[in-house]
Amino acid sequence: MELEGSEMLTASPEQVWQALFDRSVLERAIPGCETLEQTSATEFSAVVKLKVGPVSARFKGDVELSDIEPFVACTLSGKGSGGIAGFAKGSARVTLTPQGDVTLLTYRADAAVGGKLAALGSRLIKSTAQKLAGEFFANFKAVLSAGAGTEAGPTHEDTGATEQAGSVS
Amino acid sequence: MTALPDKQAHIGQSKRRQNALRHLAGRGRFVTDIVLPRMVHAAFVRSPLAHGRIVGLDIEAASRAPGVTRVFTAADLNPSCEPWTGTLDHFARMTSIAQNILADGVVLWAGQPVVMIIARSRAEAEDACELVVLDIEDDEPVVDGTLALQADAAIAAPGLSGNLCFGTVLETAGVDRAFAEAAHVVEAEFVFGRHTAVTLEPRAIVADFDPSTGQLTVHQGTQTPYQFQDVYARHFRLNEGQVRVIAPDVGGSFGMKLHVYHEEMGAVAASKLLGRPVRFVADRLESFLSDIHARDHKVKARMAASADGRITAMEVDDLTQIGAFSCYPRTSVVEGNQVIRLMGAPYAMPDYRGKLSVVFQNKVQTSQYRAVGHPIACAVTEVLVDRAAEALGLDPLDMRARNVVADSAYPHVSATGYQFEKLSHEACLTRLRDMMDYEVLRAEQAALRKKGVYRGIGIAPFVEITNPGAAFYGVGGARISAQDGAIVKLTPAGDVQCMISVTEQGQGTETIIAQVVADQLGVEPDRVKVITGDTDTTPSGGATWACRGAGIGGETALRAGRKLRDQILALAGQILQADPDGLALSNGSVVDASTGAPRMPLAEIGRIATYRPDTLPRGCDNSLTAVHHFAPGGYPFDFTNGVQASYVEVDVETGMVKLLKHWVVEDCGRIINPLLVDEQIRGGVVQGLGAAFFEECLYDDAGQLTNGSLADYLVPMAGEMPDIEIAHVETPTLDTILGAKGVGEAGTAAAGAAAMNAVNDALRPFAAGISQTPMTPVRILQALGHV
Repeated sequence: MELEGSEMLTASPEQVWQALFDRSVLERAIPGCETLEQTSATEFSAVVKLKVGPVSARFKGDVELSDIEPFVACTLSGKGSGGIAGFAKGSARVTLTPQGDVTLLTYRADAAVGGKLAALGSRLIKSTAQKLAGEFFANFKAVLSAGAGTEAGPTHEDTGATEQAGSVS
Repeated sequence: MTALPDKQAHIGQSKRRQNALRHLAGRGRFVTDIVLPRMVHAAFVRSPLAHGRIVGLDIEAASRAPGVTRVFTAADLNPSCEPWTGTLDHFARMTSIAQNILADGVVLWAGQPVVMIIARSRAEAEDACELVVLDIEDDEPVVDGTLALQADAAIAAPGLSGNLCFGTVLETAGVDRAFAEAAHVVEAEFVFGRHTAVTLEPRAIVADFDPSTGQLTVHQGTQTPYQFQDVYARHFRLNEGQVRVIAPDVGGSFGMKLHVYHEEMGAVAASKLLGRPVRFVADRLESFLSDIHARDHKVKARMAASADGRITAMEVDDLTQIGAFSCYPRTSVVEGNQVIRLMGAPYAMPDYRGKLSVVFQNKVQTSQYRAVGHPIACAVTEVLVDRAAEALGLDPLDMRARNVVADSAYPHVSATGYQFEKLSHEACLTRLRDMMDYEVLRAEQAALRKKGVYRGIGIAPFVEITNPGAAFYGVGGARISAQDGAIVKLTPAGDVQCMISVTEQGQGTETIIAQVVADQLGVEPDRVKVITGDTDTTPSGGATWACRGAGIGGETALRAGRKLRDQILALAGQILQADPDGLALSNGSVVDASTGAPRMPLAEIGRIATYRPDTLPRGCDNSLTAVHHFAPGGYPFDFTNGVQASYVEVDVETGMVKLLKHWVVEDCGRIINPLLVDEQIRGGVVQGLGAAFFEECLYDDAGQLTNGSLADYLVPMAGEMPDIEIAHVETPTLDTILGAKGVGEAGTAAAGAAAMNAVNDALRPFAAGISQTPMTPVRILQALGHV
């Protein structure tokens, strides 16, 4: 199954980039995400609860980042096992393009499912994946704008110089 | 041996199934109705990948889940079972890897059982399955038969040197010359989709091992309890006498429930290890994933015809795509083997070459399913006959009439070596033409074409293999019986019981046996209790497969019935001081053979023999039980024949096909019960049409089944089916007294071929054709060039 799309994000490519690889942002953005751990500079492992048609499962998965062009693009590849529900695996190429004040994020993903997910949910996989992608980006945007102006994540260099005045403490 | 006179009291009558009332009243007793003390339930963790190596397996959390009794892996279960290999000696150089219960180190098809969880309830077992962590490193799966035979192909299973399970060629000496000299050569390439049985009742087993007696009792929804008695005894190292297999009510089988499955073997192994009954019932997803699949052929074929319209030769190359190993014990090779041998069967075609390649895939195993090989051979043959007719400018029905083996030309041996005792193709074709009002339909078709309505007529003569002898499996070393046994007894009060080795899955076996026995003993069929399906109470025999219940089972019951009749008359002769040759049985009594005058009721014979043998003359044999086994002799199979026709309307904008009408003229020898025969034909036609238009197991490139539910796998529904009109010709076989042949698979043998010809006939004005099943709307539109 192939999936592609794009999103306009009200932030700079640097801010989007930081948020994209911020563990706490991802944990809030990924639909059904229960836990997310960063296991190395380029690897995450997650537990995500998903429902595709009649099949619902808790997926334990690993995601690896590769072909990294900082602030520009990278490839995320992952696979998740849903126990008797089956598995999902795939990869996505994410590209950030500055467009004036905003950043255009485009993604192109390739995914395969197996086991019960494939047997019962094939017809629904693509539409479910699109729905999940939509939810991810809605969540991501919300997190991004909530932290707009603040530096995202402990790994970033600046430490709060642009913190908004008047934010609720 | 004199054949039966035509007029019988019960044989030949349309009696309703005796057990239908019981089922209508909700009193069916299926395996799932069986509740035994301390019974536990099984669920399986299955491989989600089609091919791979197990690198991690953690059952710890599952073992501690609520309600769980045990969690089994290959290391626990497999040592208790002798591995099985689905090869037979008479398929020379056939190869397949050995199988055992749970996947051990490698997985070979998506859905293969890896872990077996036993719990208090199925739900708890399934919940525990979710806690198993199974890590598999995937390997490249083999998913295409053509690619699988290439030199650099991935191999489907470890231990194989290649993906070819079995290959063979049969040919006549003159085939190449026939093609060289032909006035016309027509050819086509076919794809026949993979599909599956979709029985109403899924596979079900309760395995009950009693450690205190060493007795294994298995309740199983199977067509063949005797085969499983043998399988469980040998593979679980028990004496055959310690194994009892009972097939209770079975809700449909169509061949699917003949085969050995990992889950059922697992249930037996688990029961033996736990010492308590273990139940496994496949849910619908498991049925799609793990029941045997059927068909899955790619066929290239061509046909040679002379200028005067005679079919002179056929050449066929059949690639049969099976699973990762051959099915046990009947192999996955019989389907393809019959395909290449049934080609051109109705026709006086002198020359032939057939090449068969049976190829492994990383998919679930395939094996015998209703009409094994016949639908493929019939469709390939009949599509080419239509094309030859077109090349010759001949009407399709005339083309058949010109080429079928003449009714007077028997016995006849086909170019593929099949021996036909006596068939009736010409009589059937004549009858069909009348029934259909063929000329009227052609005129209607022509008139409607002018209005842009595209109807088509398709014709498909066929033969069908029935009443198989030991040449089928026995000679290959399989412990599969081709004979049957029946015990017939008169009860003390004059009723009759018949314990027989043929079995019932809803087709009416028990009903027709009662009719046959009733006729031999002069009683009403409802006074004959027929007992089937239990290895402890019936003789061992072939049970149900390849349409043998009526022809072989019926003959067995007839001869056993006559033995009992003769015993009763001998005893009556002693009691009445009369010559037994002057006595007969009729209306529940011993009567005078010439006048019909009643001499003594059967109830009286029963009373004397059972309670007052002291009143019998010294040395008089008082037994009222007779047993007889019958093994078919004479022809290796009793072929039946018939012809089917299909009338369809194709919507060339949507690709949808409306099935307007279907006709069958069938010659299955002597008909025991016309109602049940016609119902079998209709059901068979529906299954044939299902494969032709709707049913397909769809796999993706990763070997994943993608339509494992009734939402996505289309079964033919009553509302889509046409009226199916049936007529009969009766040519009894002289190999038996009864003269009956089989009919269960006839409908399926040719329905798809007739339908394919009808669709192609409808598309003829567009010079478009389809040679793939199922003929879905998209494929029809593709044939038309509209998508």
